[in-house]
Amino acid sequence: MGTVQIRDVRKSYGAVEVLHGVSIDIEDGEFVALVGPSGCGKSTLLRMIAGLEDITGGEILISDRVVNGVAPKDRDIAMVFQNYALYPHMNVRDNMGFALRQRRVSRTEIVERVDNAARILGLEPLLDRKPRQLSGGQRQRVAMGRAIVRNPNVFLFDEPLSNLDAKLRVQMRSEIKELHQRLKTTTIYVTHDQIEAMTLADRVVVMNGGIIEQVGSPLELYDNPASLFVAAFIGSPPMNFLEGDLINKTNFALDDGTVLTLPVADSSNRSRATIGIRPEHFTIGDTGWPALVSVIEPTGSETQITARLAGKTIRVLIRGRTSTRPGETIHLNVDPQLIHFFDAAPVPVVAELEDVA
Amino acid sequence: MSNDTGKSVRQRPALHPGRSSDLLVRWSFMFPAILLLVTMLAYPIFYTIDISFSRFDIASFGAGEWVGWENYIEVIDDYRFWESLKVTMIYLVIALPLQVVLGFGIAYLINAEWSGRGVIRALFIIPMVVAPVVAGGMWRMILDPLWGIMNYWLGFLGIGPLDWFGDPNLAMAAIIIIDTWRWTPFIVLIATAALLALPKDVFEAAKIDGANWWSTLWSVAVPLLVPVIAATFVIRWLGAVKMFDIVLAATYGGPGKATNVINLFIYEEAFRSLRFAESAAMAVIVLVLTMVLTGIFLRASRKLEELF
Repeated sequence: MGTVQIRDVRKSYGAVEVLHGVSIDIEDGEFVALVGPSGCGKSTLLRMIAGLEDITGGEILISDRVVNGVAPKDRDIAMVFQNYALYPHMNVRDNMGFALRQRRVSRTEIVERVDNAARILGLEPLLDRKPRQLSGGQRQRVAMGRAIVRNPNVFLFDEPLSNLDAKLRVQMRSEIKELHQRLKTTTIYVTHDQIEAMTLADRVVVMNGGIIEQVGSPLELYDNPASLFVAAFIGSPPMNFLEGDLINKTNFALDDGTVLTLPVADSSNRSRATIGIRPEHFTIGDTGWPALVSVIEPTGSETQITARLAGKTIRVLIRGRTSTRPGETIHLNVDPQLIHFFDAAPVPVVAELEDVA
Repeated sequence: MSNDTGKSVRQRPALHPGRSSDLLVRWSFMFPAILLLVTMLAYPIFYTIDISFSRFDIASFGAGEWVGWENYIEVIDDYRFWESLKVTMIYLVIALPLQVVLGFGIAYLINAEWSGRGVIRALFIIPMVVAPVVAGGMWRMILDPLWGIMNYWLGFLGIGPLDWFGDPNLAMAAIIIIDTWRWTPFIVLIATAALLALPKDVFEAAKIDGANWWSTLWSVAVPLLVPVIAATFVIRWLGAVKMFDIVLAATYGGPGKATNVINLFIYEEAFRSLRFAESAAMAVIVLVLTMVLTGIFLRASRKLEELF
């Protein structure tokens, strides 16, 4: 079965360690996304699972078999690359059948399996084309087809949608999800786009600086981020953070002297804290924290308000529309359940999310 | 403030640079290159064409009386001209594919990551920086039938002694060996650059797809390299048709006329036999032949690029 166990895996390039001991258990049929900013080690980890990078320390097991020294072709995996990595001189049919030809599968079976995969992905009219005669989305679909015909135990995706435009990315995203629901093959999916990770995966692994920050279902990560990093990384638009002193359990003094009354007490004993509130968890009322509106961005279904609260820029997302104008003061309230407390620390700089669809 | 404005006004030229002075500037930049091209390339070519249609006047060392196609007819009737062309063809047909295959083969083999790679690459450049005449002389010593080191080594294998420069076939083989020694490194260099430029992930995909070394080579690497191989062939072809110096130094066309390539023959006719007009006609014929064949090769390599 297609289980993957990663046990205290380390990776060093010379004296530089880039993965500092990572452990994940992936169940058969699970869709796991590895997400994090560039340089966090997610692609390296995936390439180690694929066998394209040596494992410096620890063990990787695929289907309960240690694969540390096993060649990529014997790991029963298929990989989809960011740049598609199609064989440019072969047509779509030959690209998809290449792995089977290497395994000396009979000609009739190759035709059958390629046709089947082509049907699933809607590639039938393109089978005789060369990769350069295809659009980016079609190429990515061929790359997925090449993975499907293998019928492997594990699919590995390395940022497969990064080269596509925003609209196509959303479309391919749902195609990948549909494919997984249909084939139920264990899938490990690397992306830097948290939206992709959240929408696709059963479980998301947030990585940062060569370690795992948190593993959990998308909503667990959204509701209960374990660290400031996860809080800042997951969610779009990103969470607002305010750093200050807890004078007592519910009085929170910002650095400029403004004192905010919190609707809920911090459960642990902190004198200094960073509180995090998601833009969509604010409500606007007659009383509450006063904030000066600077920008209103309506998108129809919701409105994003940028405002200044005690000198800090915060983002507020409300459903529907508003009659508030820039320059006016609004009063913000927060559901007590939806305030996150963290130890005071500088908010990690998380790469700004690109064209989130 | 006022001082600043005054300055900027003064810096501006009184007259707008007109079209004519702009043209002058452009041409003056191009003039040195044009002069160089005209004197070094265009003039000799037209001079050659001119004397190929004339009776050569030794006194004025230039074209004499116009004789039309007479020189050409004489050349085409000369069996030695055709012999030399044949010798050149034999050399090209064997040496070019050999060098291209060897060059790409060696590049592929030394492309793997290993510690000695840089040194080997540097060593490969040496033959290219040795002057061809020196290379010819050097190999003349190596291949010397009596005291050359090649026959000494071959003796251990029970071969020889071989009369490298006395036997017509061996003499041609010797020329091809020297030429290959000299030019393969150049192809290795191009091939190495081409290999480094190939997309890595395609090879990784092949690895995951289960391709072994052999099928990675034939199903992935070679097809990806075809455009570069074709281009290298054309470049090497352009160098090889000019083959002259190595033959001059190693065999001087001998034994008999076995290695008398066309360029050596033209040189001999002109500067030994002083038949300048006839040799000019031959040079023009070779020039046209080369241009036609190069055109065909370029077209074929473009076709190949479309295919792959």
